[in-house]
Amino acid sequence: MLLPWEYGVRNLARRPLRTMLTLAALSTVILLVFVVVGFIRGLEKSLSISGDRDVVLVYSVNSEENIENSAIAARTPALLAASVEGTQQRFGVTHVSPEMYLGTRVNTDENNGGLGLVRGVTTGAPLVRRSVKLIDGKWPSSGEVIVGQLAAAKLGYDKQDLAIGKQVVFENKTWEIVGQFAAGGAACESEIWCNLADLQTATKRQDLTVVALLLEPGSSTAEIELFCKERTDLELRALGETDYYQSLQQHYKPVRILAWLVVLLVSGAGVFAGLNMMYGAVAGRVREIATLQAIGYRRRAILLSIVQEGVLLAAAASLIAGAIALVLMNGLAIRFTMGAFTLRIDSVAVLFGCGIGLLLGVLGALPPAIKALRAKVAVSLKAV
Amino acid sequence: MALVELRGVSKSFTKGEETITPLDEVDLDIQAGEFVSLMGPSGTGKSTLLNLISGIDRPDRGTISVDGVEVTGLSRSKLADWRAANLGYIFQTHNLIPVLTTYENVELPTLLLKLSKSQRRQRVELALEAVGLTDRANHYPRQLSGGQEQRVGIARAIVAHPKVVVADEPTGSLDAQTSEQIQTLLQRLNRELDITLLMVTHDRDVAGIASRKLVLDQGKFVDSETAITMGV
Ligand SMILES: Nc1ncnc2c1ncn2[C@@H]1O[C@H](COP(=O)(O)OP(=O)(O)OP(=O)(O)O)[C@@H](O)[C@H]1O
Ligand SMILES: [Mg+2]
Repeated sequence: MLLPWEYGVRNLARRPLRTMLTLAALSTVILLVFVVVGFIRGLEKSLSISGDRDVVLVYSVNSEENIENSAIAARTPALLAASVEGTQQRFGVTHVSPEMYLGTRVNTDENNGGLGLVRGVTTGAPLVRRSVKLIDGKWPSSGEVIVGQLAAAKLGYDKQDLAIGKQVVFENKTWEIVGQFAAGGAACESEIWCNLADLQTATKRQDLTVVALLLEPGSSTAEIELFCKERTDLELRALGETDYYQSLQQHYKPVRILAWLVVLLVSGAGVFAGLNMMYGAVAGRVREIATLQAIGYRRRAILLSIVQEGVLLAAAASLIAGAIALVLMNGLAIRFTMGAFTLRIDSVAVLFGCGIGLLLGVLGALPPAIKALRAKVAVSLKAV
Repeated sequence: MALVELRGVSKSFTKGEETITPLDEVDLDIQAGEFVSLMGPSGTGKSTLLNLISGIDRPDRGTISVDGVEVTGLSRSKLADWRAANLGYIFQTHNLIPVLTTYENVELPTLLLKLSKSQRRQRVELALEAVGLTDRANHYPRQLSGGQEQRVGIARAIVAHPKVVVADEPTGSLDAQTSEQIQTLLQRLNRELDITLLMVTHDRDVAGIASRKLVLDQGKFVDSETAITMGV
């Protein structure tokens, strides 16, 4: 038989100040867990939805994993279109997107020095980059740009500074913002897109960074890969977009491991906060616990009651932390080297945060409870 | 057969080099309905004896049975269950749970029994009535006087209708007047509710209310006349 529920609840109110302090400490810890898990989830999500399975990226074989370093000949798209089958075609238009991609300083009237990601594109881009949707304004013509939803976050600027009608300066040229686009959380949401020819003029370059091709459903990358291998003079390599982002995920593995480590360490600190309080709480109750045993309560029932106390407190802390995380942190934009993404306090993050919270309660309460129950009842009954 | 039977019960404690034997081959019979008082110099093992009978502690040798159940042979969790149904313990310092009200404190032992809600309620109300605290049911221990707290402790000890109630200096920390109230109460419980009582006390007057007086000294029971001449 268990002890009445009220016993655990009211015990928490016995030392209100200490309970409140522990509640604050546990809430902070769990909030941190939420943030870190939300960070990991956001990062993973941004990378995992960034890839389109039907899109193949063709870029320089010398650029290693980093597409930004790639430089390929301007005639590559024409060559590809002529030599490779399997690229999607509709109304006589081949779905190919030649692109120039670079990281550069992007200034506005109000801000300076933010490192932005700029992509010069043609009208082929929206055909291949199917997740991109113009949510406001129009497609850019010469001297104009459209900005991704997270571009401001990536730059560390106010969102208003990249509003339609404002101007940005990069590569010694002033551009007018004429539109805004979303990409369902994909990496390119933190980019600024402009006309490819404009960007080539501004940078005094003729080359491209990457060519993206949309395959017909059912065709594979094999043919394109073969083409790249045969034409060694072009120094090209082809990679499915999903594979590309998968390799990026790999690349960010240390970051994720570090983040999990933070979760672990922070949780460890939380266990100590719980332990500290529960040891204190139980130490002052030695005789009471012995009395309960003398009345006929089994040790397991008393143990459960003490654990229930810890769990109750941790659950309250989880609730507070969860509410703060959902209201204040969810969707918060995070700047990151490869772009920006939003904190995702999704069901997994919530489950994880609350799970850690409950674990804190149990781990914090168990050792003091076990210690108290190990003592001999006859001896504890005499304790002061 | 007696309600409580101790046969050859020994218990010793070792403290470093020294071994103390508070109980040395003790035999004792307590009949149902008896009110037994237990006196003896401090440190002779009176509390130890109560703890052995209530299964809180175990003897080194010998057997203890209560109402035919050999307590000394039960496992720890079985002992807990047995205590819940068969034994009431009145402490010197009432040992009430501070976060529970009078009613809830008295209710605690009944939660361990197979009773319906209304049966439980009835038991608690009867116990509170027996100790005259019906009007204090919703008070917390800190809102009660020392004597009232002890009465709650007594109600808690009898609420499960135990076969035996042991009391370790129940009046030990009360003033003379309150002590007298408690004595009267214990006597009434024994006479009117037929509760079998074993009570440890240092006060000869308190011991006087019992139907039988025992004195423990040097690990053995001595009869009370000898004890008086010894000046215990
Ligand atoms: N857990 C223990 N460990 C070691 N010695 C103990 C333990 N419990 C009791 N003793 C010793 O056993 C002896 C009897 O103790 P007990 O508490 O039964 O005495 P008592 O007769 O109740 O004394 P008092 O009248 O002062 O309450 C004492 O000498 C005490 O020091
Ligand atoms: Mg004693």
